[in-house]
Amino acid sequence: MARLLRSAAYRIALVYALGFAVATALLGLAVVLFAHAAFMHQLEAQIVEDSGALVAEYRLEGHEGLNFAIGEREAGNTTNELLYAVFAPDGRRIAGGLHARRPPNGWSDLDFHDTLEGPDVARAWAVDLDDGSRLVVGADRSVVGRVDRTLGGIFLAAFAIVLLLSLTGALLLGAYLRRRLAGISGAADRIMTGDINRRVPESGTGDEFDALARSLNQMLERITALLENLRQLSGDIAHDLRTPLARLRGHLEESLECGGDAAEQRERLSSALEQADRLLALFAAILRISEIEGGRRKASFQIIDLAEIARDIGDSYVPAVEEGGRTLRAEVPAGALVQGDPELLAQAIVNLLDNAQLHTPCGTAIRLCLETFDDRVRLTISDNGPGVPVEAHQAIFRRFMRLDRGRTVAGHGLGLNLVAAIVAMHEGQLEVEDNAPGLRIGFILPQAPHAVAATEGLQPGRGSVTKIAR
Amino acid sequence: MQILVVEDDPDLRLFIENGLRRAGHVPHGVASAEHAVEDLGKQPFDAVILDRMLPGMTGLDLLRQWRKQGNHVPVLLLTALDGIDDRVEGLDAGADDHVGKPFALNELLSRLQAITRRAHAPGLDSRIEEGELVLDLLRRELRYKGRQVALQPREMRLLEELMRHSGASVTRAMLLERVWGFTFNPQTSIVETHISRLRSKLGDSGVPASIEAVRGIGYRLVMHG
Repeated sequence: MARLLRSAAYRIALVYALGFAVATALLGLAVVLFAHAAFMHQLEAQIVEDSGALVAEYRLEGHEGLNFAIGEREAGNTTNELLYAVFAPDGRRIAGGLHARRPPNGWSDLDFHDTLEGPDVARAWAVDLDDGSRLVVGADRSVVGRVDRTLGGIFLAAFAIVLLLSLTGALLLGAYLRRRLAGISGAADRIMTGDINRRVPESGTGDEFDALARSLNQMLERITALLENLRQLSGDIAHDLRTPLARLRGHLEESLECGGDAAEQRERLSSALEQADRLLALFAAILRISEIEGGRRKASFQIIDLAEIARDIGDSYVPAVEEGGRTLRAEVPAGALVQGDPELLAQAIVNLLDNAQLHTPCGTAIRLCLETFDDRVRLTISDNGPGVPVEAHQAIFRRFMRLDRGRTVAGHGLGLNLVAAIVAMHEGQLEVEDNAPGLRIGFILPQAPHAVAATEGLQPGRGSVTKIAR
Repeated sequence: MQILVVEDDPDLRLFIENGLRRAGHVPHGVASAEHAVEDLGKQPFDAVILDRMLPGMTGLDLLRQWRKQGNHVPVLLLTALDGIDDRVEGLDAGADDHVGKPFALNELLSRLQAITRRAHAPGLDSRIEEGELVLDLLRRELRYKGRQVALQPREMRLLEELMRHSGASVTRAMLLERVWGFTFNPQTSIVETHISRLRSKLGDSGVPASIEAVRGIGYRLVMHG
C-alpha cells in the first residue's frame, strides 16, 4: 500500500476514488435524514387529523360514538395503522387497544406493549376531552424505523458498490498512467545509456501522452541534429585545418633552412603569413556560422527593405564583376520588406555573388533577381556557367563542401553554408535549380507585414540604406 | 603620440608596443585595468589601446567608467575574433573603434591614426576641403576649382573616408566597414574596383590628387602641389 501511495498516478486515482465515495456517503446520509423527517412529519399530520375527527365524533355522540369509531378503526376498516386509547381522569384506560400508561397532553414518545412484538415505542398525541378523560392517538415508531432501515440499506449497498468500483477504477487508472509514463521514462533511460536514436513510443490515439511524446521526440530530433552537426563540424575542422597548417609549417621550416638569402626568406615568410591569414579567415567564418546558428542575433532583427540592400550590392558589384571578365545584371523592383538583420542578409547576397564568380569561367552572365509573391520575397542569383550536377544541389550548402576538390579555386568552402545558416535564421528556404545552362541559386523569405512597417514609420526604400552603409 | 596600451598578454603587449615604437609613437604598456586607471590619472595620453577582456575589471567596465567621468580620450578596443555582438557592445560603451584579435599591425596602426585624427578634428562638419577640392556632404557634391565632379554615391563615400584621413592610410577593412557596412570580407574586389573608378574620375577632372595603394595595408589619398 505504501508503495502504491508513493506513485503519483495511484495517489491521484485513490484520492479521487475516496472523494467520490465520501460524496456518495454524504448524499446517502442526507437522503435518509430528509426522508425520515418527511415521513415523521406526514405521520404526525395524520395523527393530528385523525385525533381531530375522533374529538368531533365524541362531541357529537359522546363516549359511545367515540368507542365505536375507535373500534371501527382498530378492526382494520380504515387504511391507517394508528393506535388508540382513551384514559379516564384517574389514568385507567377505558377504550382503545393501546396498552400504555396515560401520557401528558400534547406530543410524547410513549412506551407501550405491542400484542405481537412486545414492548415498543409509539409517537403519540394526547388531547383532553370535555369530561376530563384523555384521548391518545399514536403510531408505532417502528414503522418509521423500517423505512429508515430500508433506505439506509439501499444506500449502504450503493456506497459499497461505488467504493468498490472507484477503487478498482483507481487501480486501473493508476496502472494505465504508470504504463504510459513508463514508456517515456524507459525511452529516456535508453537514450541516457547511449541509444541516442531511441524515441518515445506513441499509442496512436493522439491523446495528451501522444502529444507529449511527439514534443519530446521533436526535441530529441533537434538535439540529435545539433549533435550530428557538431560532430561533423569538429571532424571537418580537424580535417580542413590540417592542410593550411601543414603549409604554414612548411613555409616556416623552409624559411629557417634557406640560409642567409634574405629575399627568399622574406618570400617564404610572407607565404606563411598568407596561410595564417587564410586560417584566421576560416576561423572567422566558422565562428560567424556558429554565432548565427546560435540565434543570438535574432534579438536585433528589424524591418528592412531587401530590395534596397540587393540594389545597393548590385550597384557595387556590377563594375567589380565586369572587371573580372563577367557581366552582372540586377533586376530589383522596389519594396520588399522583410524582418531581419541587414548586415547578415547583405552577407548572404554577397556570398552568393562571390560564389557565382568563383565557379564560373570568364564571359559568364550573372543575374541578380528579386521578386515578391504571396507575402514572400525571392532572391535569386543565376548564371549561364557550367552549373552543378542535380544530385549535388543540396550538398553544396554543406560545410567545407567543394565540388572541385582540387585547390584551383580559392575560398574556404563555407560561403554557401553561411548563406544556409543566415536563411535558416530568417525562417526562409533555400532554392537551387538547374538554370539550363548554369545554376540558379537563392532563397525565399517571408515578407514582413506592411502594417507593421507603417506603424514603425518606415517607408519602403528608406532607412535600411543608412543602416547598411554605416 | 603617447599611447596607453592595456593588454594582459605580455607577448601581445610587447608586439603592440614595438609596432607603435616603429611607427614613431611612445607606447606605455600596462597589464590590468587597475594599472590603467592609475596611469591615466598621472599623464595625458593621445589614445588608449584597450583589451576588452582583462583579468579583474574588464576593459569594457573601465571604458564605461572613463566615459562616465567625462574622459574622452580616443579608445581603440581589442575584441575577440568572433564578436559581432561584442563590436556593438564596445561601441555602445564608448569605444571609438575596434580591432578583432588577431589583427595585422597595420590595421591597428591605421585605425589608431584614424581615431586620434577624428578626436582632434570632430568630423561632423558638412564640408571637407583639401586645397581647391571641396566635398560638400550636405549637397552630396564634389567640386574642384568650383567645377562639379560627377561621382556615384559610393565613390563619394569612399572619397569622404580618404579625405578625412588625407595623407594617412586607410585599410581595406575600414573602407568596407564604413562605406559598405560590411564587417566581413567579400571575395570580389569591390573596394579595388571603386577605387580605380574614383581615380580615373578624379584624373579626368584634373584633380591633383592620387589615391595610392599601400601594399599590405590599404589606400592613401595624397594631394599634390
